[in-house]
Amino acid sequence: MRTYKSILLLASLLLASCSKFLDHPVENLAPETTIDYTNLSLMYQPVSGAYKAVTRGGFAFWVPTFMKTSQSDDIIPETGYSEVNTLINNGVSGSAIASFWALDNMWVNYYAPIITCNGALAELAKFGANIPSGDAADQQQLLRYQAEVRCLAAIGHFYLCRSWGNIPILGPSSIYPSDLDTVHITPMANVRQYIMDEANFCIANLEAVAPNKATHVGGLTKYTALMLKAKTALDIAGSDNGSPYWDTVLDCTNQIMNSGQFSLYPDYYELFKIPGKLCDESILEFQYSDFGSTTGNIVTSGEDATGSQWANLFLFQAPNNSWGGLINGPGWLVPSDNAYNFLVARGDAQRIKLTFERCGVNGNPGTYAVTPDGDTVSGNVAGAKYFNGKAYTPTSESNGTSGYYGSNNNVRVWRYAETLLMNAEALIRKGQNGDAPLNMVRARVGLAPLTNATLQQLMDERRAELICEWWGERFNDLVRTDQAATVFSGFVKGESEFWPIPTTEIALDKNLQ
Amino acid sequence: MEKLRLLLDVYGNRFIFLLILLCAGIGTYATALPPTVVKGRITDTAGNALAGATILVKGTRTGTSTNENGEFSIQTPKAAGVLVISYTGFTSREVSFSGDATLDIRLSAADNRQSDIVVVGYGTQKKGDLTAPITSVNMDDVDKRTTATPMDALQGSVPGVQVISNGSPGTSPEVRIRGIGSFNNENPLYVVDGMFVTDIGFLNSDDIADISVLKDASGAAIYGVEAANGVVLITTKKGRLNMKTRVTYNGYVGIQVPTHKVKMANGQQFTNYALQWQDAADSGSIRQSANLYGGAGLAPTTSTDWYKQILRSSAPITNQAIDVQGGSDKIAYTLGGNYLYQGGIMQYQNSFQRYNIRFSMDVRAFSWLKLGITTTVSNSVTFYPNNAAWETAFTASPLFPVYDSANNPSAFPIKFANSALIGRTDANAVAQARYNYNQYKQIQVLPGVYGELYLWHNRITLRSQLSEYYTSGLATNYAQQVNLGPGSTNTTPSMLTSSQDRNTNYILDNLVTYRDGLGRHHWSVLLGQSSRSDRYRVTTVQAQNVPAQQQFWYVTNYTRDPSYYSDNGTYNTSLSYFTRGTYDFDNKYLLTATFRKDGSSKYQQKWGDFPSLGVGWVISKEDFLKNVPGLDFLKLRGSWGKLGNDGVTPNAGYAIVNSGNAYSGIFGSTGSQNGQYVPGYQVNNFYSNVSWEVVTEWDGGIDFELLKHRLKGSADYYNRATNGAALNESFPFGAPAIYGNFADMTNKGFDFALSWGDRIGKLGYLISANASTLKNTVTKIGSISNIMGGVFGWAAEYPNIIQPGLPINSFYGYKTAGIYQTQQEIDADPVAVAANKSVPGSVQPGFFKYADLNHNGVRDAGDETNLGSYLPKVTYGFNISVSYRQFDFSVAAQGVAGNKILNLNRGEFQKATSSINLDQKFMEHLWTGPGSTNMYPSAYALSQPWNKEDGGGSFFVESGAYLRIQNIQLGYNFKLGTNNPVGLRVFVTADRPFIFTKYSGFTPEISGIGYDNQVYPVTASYSFGVKATF
Repeated sequence: MRTYKSILLLASLLLASCSKFLDHPVENLAPETTIDYTNLSLMYQPVSGAYKAVTRGGFAFWVPTFMKTSQSDDIIPETGYSEVNTLINNGVSGSAIASFWALDNMWVNYYAPIITCNGALAELAKFGANIPSGDAADQQQLLRYQAEVRCLAAIGHFYLCRSWGNIPILGPSSIYPSDLDTVHITPMANVRQYIMDEANFCIANLEAVAPNKATHVGGLTKYTALMLKAKTALDIAGSDNGSPYWDTVLDCTNQIMNSGQFSLYPDYYELFKIPGKLCDESILEFQYSDFGSTTGNIVTSGEDATGSQWANLFLFQAPNNSWGGLINGPGWLVPSDNAYNFLVARGDAQRIKLTFERCGVNGNPGTYAVTPDGDTVSGNVAGAKYFNGKAYTPTSESNGTSGYYGSNNNVRVWRYAETLLMNAEALIRKGQNGDAPLNMVRARVGLAPLTNATLQQLMDERRAELICEWWGERFNDLVRTDQAATVFSGFVKGESEFWPIPTTEIALDKNLQ
Repeated sequence: MEKLRLLLDVYGNRFIFLLILLCAGIGTYATALPPTVVKGRITDTAGNALAGATILVKGTRTGTSTNENGEFSIQTPKAAGVLVISYTGFTSREVSFSGDATLDIRLSAADNRQSDIVVVGYGTQKKGDLTAPITSVNMDDVDKRTTATPMDALQGSVPGVQVISNGSPGTSPEVRIRGIGSFNNENPLYVVDGMFVTDIGFLNSDDIADISVLKDASGAAIYGVEAANGVVLITTKKGRLNMKTRVTYNGYVGIQVPTHKVKMANGQQFTNYALQWQDAADSGSIRQSANLYGGAGLAPTTSTDWYKQILRSSAPITNQAIDVQGGSDKIAYTLGGNYLYQGGIMQYQNSFQRYNIRFSMDVRAFSWLKLGITTTVSNSVTFYPNNAAWETAFTASPLFPVYDSANNPSAFPIKFANSALIGRTDANAVAQARYNYNQYKQIQVLPGVYGELYLWHNRITLRSQLSEYYTSGLATNYAQQVNLGPGSTNTTPSMLTSSQDRNTNYILDNLVTYRDGLGRHHWSVLLGQSSRSDRYRVTTVQAQNVPAQQQFWYVTNYTRDPSYYSDNGTYNTSLSYFTRGTYDFDNKYLLTATFRKDGSSKYQQKWGDFPSLGVGWVISKEDFLKNVPGLDFLKLRGSWGKLGNDGVTPNAGYAIVNSGNAYSGIFGSTGSQNGQYVPGYQVNNFYSNVSWEVVTEWDGGIDFELLKHRLKGSADYYNRATNGAALNESFPFGAPAIYGNFADMTNKGFDFALSWGDRIGKLGYLISANASTLKNTVTKIGSISNIMGGVFGWAAEYPNIIQPGLPINSFYGYKTAGIYQTQQEIDADPVAVAANKSVPGSVQPGFFKYADLNHNGVRDAGDETNLGSYLPKVTYGFNISVSYRQFDFSVAAQGVAGNKILNLNRGEFQKATSSINLDQKFMEHLWTGPGSTNMYPSAYALSQPWNKEDGGGSFFVESGAYLRIQNIQLGYNFKLGTNNPVGLRVFVTADRPFIFTKYSGFTPEISGIGYDNQVYPVTASYSFGVKATF
């Protein structure tokens, strides 16, 4: 029996003392990091992280881009996704597209950065707790940083609300899994009011300079927030000339115009190319870089070198060019004949030159065309005649051939030209004369000034100025002026204005039903 | 070495202490006994040692049992008496002794195989005493299979074990034991001579003496946290003491040939089809083909059979093995080596070759001490194919040639044709296969040393074993500089990717086994402690513009890119304590209990407990059944236990701060300046504490032998429930997913095995069959209702779903309900009417008709449904072998039923903007007018959104059932020479010669989750071989 006792004794000894062998950190995972919240020089870091979330992947990801752009009659989607090519391009919404993956992708690419922004706010609060109460400069800086992050989140809500109408608001608390369970759908009117309130906070606390003069060059400023407020007010006012929100539009756009910070970029053709990056016309721009190198890291709206650069906003719009090289892609989002004819009828030569780059002769395979910047572009078997010049970065402006179509170019979101047009619309809607701001926009592209411009002339100018851009203005304008059902064959008033909440999201959260 | 030293530092001292203490304990006990000592050896009639036979001094309580060499030594207070020797399955004997004596005792078998020794975890047991459904694989059958990896040879031979082969040379098959209980790791644990490995592809079937498959908790729980997917125990060949030197040569040469070939549509058929897409792109491409490559107008004459172009008519396979075994009274050894070469049936470089050397030596240093070493060294070179070429061969247009120097002058170095010249985006399948150099060289070493101490007349065995598994691999992927055309600017620079990986794993086991008996009571106790450390590291570098000669294939001198550098690794340790007790009364009532306590460094919650209990009742030994004619053996078994799966991603369990450039915004990107990072970070508060998954398994079984042991069989019911299966739980809004133990699932089914064997004169025959059923059900996935998934790139078009109540990863989509034959039919169907209302002309005759499952009159998400599972409901195998005089002949077959395959090759049209090729069968069955078919759509339909938006659905989900003749072998045995004759066997083998399946693709053997895309087909092989023994 002694033997058994010995064994048992030993077993218990072994059990008692060996667990140190197991106590080591898990290999090759992110280590437990501590952030020094007392070091206020690090305070911008969560803000920079929020910009990353919004601009890489995020709002300028390729999928939301083709979803929103395809809702316009300026574009033939040619995406390879029949849901887009036939349903969305014809204005069809509702259950027919509810389970389309790209719908969910857009939802996710807008909401996920909002969650990151809310995480950044929580981080800023931790820095804030270390700012002495008498330190007004740092308090002010904290408010400015908070405003930058909140403005990014509000822009996300703005576009979500435009596409879906009634949506959940993800407020600052939505950074833990348990918080997401409590989220519910908010009526569209309340969402818009929320965006206006956020914009007011941002207007009060952001830098009063143009983005290209901001401390962090290209970051959001007071004027970005004013533009957000103006656009939200415009959506609320819709087509109702009596709406008091036209005053808000007018007030906000006036503030931007009177700031002296902005002007229209004179060379319209270069506006969307490298020279036009963050020019004085820029109110909101997403920034990217190839760091001036022919190899190595290239940051695009797809992702960085470790992610999928293919997924950037530009590449999938590149023409299907058998000549190859950098100017080559799947040839999606082809500018439409409808849009072309619209500009031709207006004699809008400069806008045609910028937007309608040609694929060979009438798109015929075996033929070639040369762009104003000297790139040779062939026709293609799909017979696409054009590719979008607003997404075109010439080879001559690119750093080497190992890059991507559009690498090192920024994504233009909001321009001063639109501010002027909104100002003009508010004036006209209120029965005043909108010629001055409208004619500034016309003059830049060499069009003769108008006198006593009508609302229709203004709306045509909006379409022409923003033609083939990616932020859904054309569709939104058609909807708010009640012309959508005329233009789109599948549009049903009261149904097609907004997309259904993606079935995937409903499967994940019953509150979204 | 540092790791080894650490292990010894930590455990060595304690282990030596254990030994000393035990020796002291036994020593004092032994000196108190009187002097009569009876020694002996117990064997069967053929002289094979019987381990674990019980020896009892009649009329006393003194007894012992034999060691693994059949030897015993017993001390008794009586000067003379009678020993009662018993051993399950053998007739008991009584032998008298007088004074100290050495006896040689032979027992004759009770004419059944219940006495066979079965390898179980950390020991052996007699088959008759098992309470668990452990299958000991018949290695003779395994040897008949001409497969490159040993697990392939088990296909269809073990009930409950599904083996899915892969045709790519040297690729190990996928092995599932009793279904899938995890979203993470479904591989069983392989234990080779005590060492844990994840795959046994490095072994040759000839290296293996024994394979045991532990399927239930009673068998596997002794392996604790590693055992949830079942355990495969492998013992390599070893010599025996006092064994005459035996040399065995075993070799075969053969050819592999493709089977069940898919016939693709030819140029003519494709042209007719493509024109019906009524698309400018298609007619343009057809005209262009006629212009460039012959034909006129819309009638091109080119017809490239891409499959034929990339497929070889045959590829060689050979295996040569030599093995020397022998032993003196103190030393037993074995030394073996083998060489295997397997070519690939794809054109160009893909093959597998492996050299193995194996050595083991056991030294009986003293009667109470045995020492041994075992080493297996495996050296392999694999050239992996570019499987993308299979996909291209299916989808590419036949209307352009393989080579085209006239129209594609920029192509370099080979003038391959480029489909862009006819306006298509198809790759050139031959170029894909040709411009592929993907080599993996690996050396794997499996050394082990052990010492075994026998105490108290062999009742107690102490064993310590230190095993290592070391692997070192070098992957070289070289893409040469090529220009595929058509433009001169399309040159891709050469690229070298070089990746070094190494595994250094150690296990130190300390075991105490105590085996004893008294009268009709027999018991054994195992106590064990094991510590493990696994270290893995992989370093990858890449450079461009590396010259084509292999001498220059180093990254240093060429264009390196910092972002092409990666270095990753893992280091995990675990510590375990385990025990097993077995008890039986008269070999009639059986009890096995095990318990393992496992600790792992991978998780916060480090320790887990894994108990199991097994009971058995040999009813045939009861008096009331003793004289039932024809009933030779009948046993009921039952077991319960818990198993763990730590193939779960390790987890640190805290909020993550992500920082660095990848989490920083770009600022200052203006017309004149390049943008730069401003340092940033993001915080991820979505995390959970992950731990291993726990499987609770019940098993009830019956074993029987009837009609003079001619009819044998067993049946088992099993029920495995996984609790806390780890998976990524998604959240709405694209919030970060949380990886945690959120899910539950069950696997239930029956395993059956039945055989009938007899001998009529010189004719011997054996017919055996096995089958198992599986019902896999996901029962919970946290708080969400389902998870949509699929294969990369096609998850949107052909999704699968994880949803409570369905099998894991079930195919999901619309259910087709035939084809609209006429416009009247369309006008009568509200679903079609609604679709045509929103987009006119969207539904036409020849289009798919979808079942309106939610009866709301439109096709929408509510009509999507479960379309079946890739998991077979039944897997089965059978075997007939006949021997007559010196000839033997055997046929083995195996198959699966009740599973589905998604034919993604066919389904790829969904993303295509112009027509892609189809197999001839599809093409010839297309709808051409009312009444032509109610199953296949029209060619035009495939171009239209109605049939493309997640379309087709169930049409592309096909039955994956098949029956395959797995092996046919004819052998002839004879002897050469009279003195020391050489035993010779010559044999011809056909492996996988015939397959019976309705599946439309190349092979119904699809690894992974059932999507047929880029699958390297499994081949048939025909070979001739010789086995010589002297």
